[in-house]
Amino acid sequence: MTATISHARLRVLFAFFAVASLVLSARLAYWQTIGRGELLGQATDQVRSDLVLAAHRGVIRDRGGAILATTVELRSLYAIPGRIVDRGATAAALAPILGERPDVLRAALESGGEWLYLRRRLPEDTANRIAALRIEGLGFEKEPKRLYPSGAIGAQVLGFVNDDGLGQYGVEGRYDDVLRGVPGRLVVERDPASRQLALGLRTGLNAKDGQDLVLTLDLAIQTAVERELAAAVQSEKATSGSVVVLDPRDGAVRALASSPSYDPARVAAATNEALRDRAISWTYEPGSTMKAITIAAALDKGVVTPKTSYNDVGYAVIGGRVLSNAYGKVYGPTTVAQVLERSQNAGAVFVASQLGAPDLRSYLEAFGFGAPTGVDLAAETTGRVRPLAEWYPVDLGTISFGQGLSITPLQLAAAYAAIANGGTLFRPYVVASRRDADGEHRTAPAPLRRVISSQTAATLRTMLTATVDHGIANAAALKAYSVAGKTGTAQIPSNDGRYVDDAYISSFAGFVPAEDPQLVVVVVLERPESKLLGTLPAMTAFKGIATDALRYARVQPDRP
Amino acid sequence: MTFAQAVRAPHVRRVQHRPLRQAVHRRAADRRTVARSASWEVRSFLLVSGVIVAGFLLVLLYLAQATAVSAAGYEAQRLSAQRDEIRRQNALLEIESARLDSPARIEAAAQRLGLVRAATIRVVPALEIAAKR
Repeated sequence: MTATISHARLRVLFAFFAVASLVLSARLAYWQTIGRGELLGQATDQVRSDLVLAAHRGVIRDRGGAILATTVELRSLYAIPGRIVDRGATAAALAPILGERPDVLRAALESGGEWLYLRRRLPEDTANRIAALRIEGLGFEKEPKRLYPSGAIGAQVLGFVNDDGLGQYGVEGRYDDVLRGVPGRLVVERDPASRQLALGLRTGLNAKDGQDLVLTLDLAIQTAVERELAAAVQSEKATSGSVVVLDPRDGAVRALASSPSYDPARVAAATNEALRDRAISWTYEPGSTMKAITIAAALDKGVVTPKTSYNDVGYAVIGGRVLSNAYGKVYGPTTVAQVLERSQNAGAVFVASQLGAPDLRSYLEAFGFGAPTGVDLAAETTGRVRPLAEWYPVDLGTISFGQGLSITPLQLAAAYAAIANGGTLFRPYVVASRRDADGEHRTAPAPLRRVISSQTAATLRTMLTATVDHGIANAAALKAYSVAGKTGTAQIPSNDGRYVDDAYISSFAGFVPAEDPQLVVVVVLERPESKLLGTLPAMTAFKGIATDALRYARVQPDRP
Repeated sequence: MTFAQAVRAPHVRRVQHRPLRQAVHRRAADRRTVARSASWEVRSFLLVSGVIVAGFLLVLLYLAQATAVSAAGYEAQRLSAQRDEIRRQNALLEIESARLDSPARIEAAAQRLGLVRAATIRVVPALEIAAKR
């Protein structure tokens, strides 16, 4: 009986082991065949790492090669609180270096996190001082940061790079895809110490670095521009201001500034107004600087000459409206040349009447008003010149002296550059060349069209030079250099369609040397404290900029 | 007992049981056969030993090479990291240089030193220089 039971037990035991063996064998067969890939994947994941190779963002330089923006890897400080022996002492040691209160740091270390950043992208000397402490549980991780060595100089042109690495505004925004490059990929096997195995798997795709850009901007001129603009805005308590400096020979932007501005290193503190580049993203009614355009059109069309005269009675009646000279002055017999020298509104209306609305509208369009200049910067606005069908009869008069249309400072600079260079409108540009692995790609200047004849341009240069030499813009005259230019004082439209009382936009547009123009400068101040005399600080700023730029460029004086 | 002796021993025992007359001739023939056989065995032994030693050396060589490549790989990684760090330091120095070269900084430093702008800067016209030559 005992033997029988024993055999039965053995059979059961045998059967159990047999079944267990079968199950285990089936399971083993499963993992060796069907589940093999999954197991292999898990094993591979333990040793293989798939890395994204960041592409290096391109460097931006000025025309002389000075670095304006570049990317470097800075060290970010992290902590593993569990490994820090004395958190209080650690917080006390770090506090003076990081400029933070010890209790704040200690609270961060005791927040319960297993791993946390204490400070990101530290300055190099700060990181070195912390590294020298050799505190267990603290470490560094390198992170890229965009740096601007000249600080806020050129901020409006350059733009900035946000925390996600995307370029915003200016050149950074417009050329983001070019500067950013293409990230690569690297798959490697690592040992337990996280070192790459020399004989292990190593495959991937190299990152393609972003292209370097060389701008037409000149850091010396840009610095002078920002200095003069800041001084004018500050002294006049102006709401805003902007300056454009162009090379009239090819449309290259030599400097471009806007106030208020911001520091690219502290973008978070910048207001929306500070981020707006007023030279290209803001429009205004230009006022009398447009008289030069009106007269250029009339001269080119042949309806007037500089000596054409009319009798100025202090005002002009057009479309049933009376348009007066500034301060209601009466000049009597006046030539077209004198209209520009004295900035007579009634004279501009007279010239425009000779020209006619269709031709004035056509020339405004030809000079580039009402359309983007095509400058290679982000967020350019177009301004507005209403279609002819929407013009009231009085518009011919108001537009002749720069009211009733809106433009950007850059559009005005480009139009004056056309007068300066003999009649050709160029597309303004900021990037002179791009450099990549294949070499340098230069930007060819883009002449858009001939706007006026070279004779008209020469005549207008003479008239604008006279305006500075013994006319209304005399405050812009320079020693040893001829200057051509025109002032502008414009009323500011309000939301209800009227003009704001006792507030103006003052501007000056000119070029030097008048005989052989090398620089066009446009200065615009919004709501200067001097009101109707606001053109004086604009001309002062022009003089400061032109003096520095001509001296720096070693331009030969053309006057004794 | 050597490997050769162990292999040879059965033959020796077999020869001892044969008739004496034939044994003389046999012994001489066997001696030649044994000599040939011993020579073959030694050669085989040496060959096998050589193959084993060569295999061992090859494995050793492979391991040495693998170790050297691995070490070189780690050294390459170290040098690559060093290169990256030097490049980073170079970039930081370039930035510092650009900051120091900035016209705004130089202008501020000049003002701090009490320097003033030159009223005029003499520009020598290129035409005058050309005329003097």
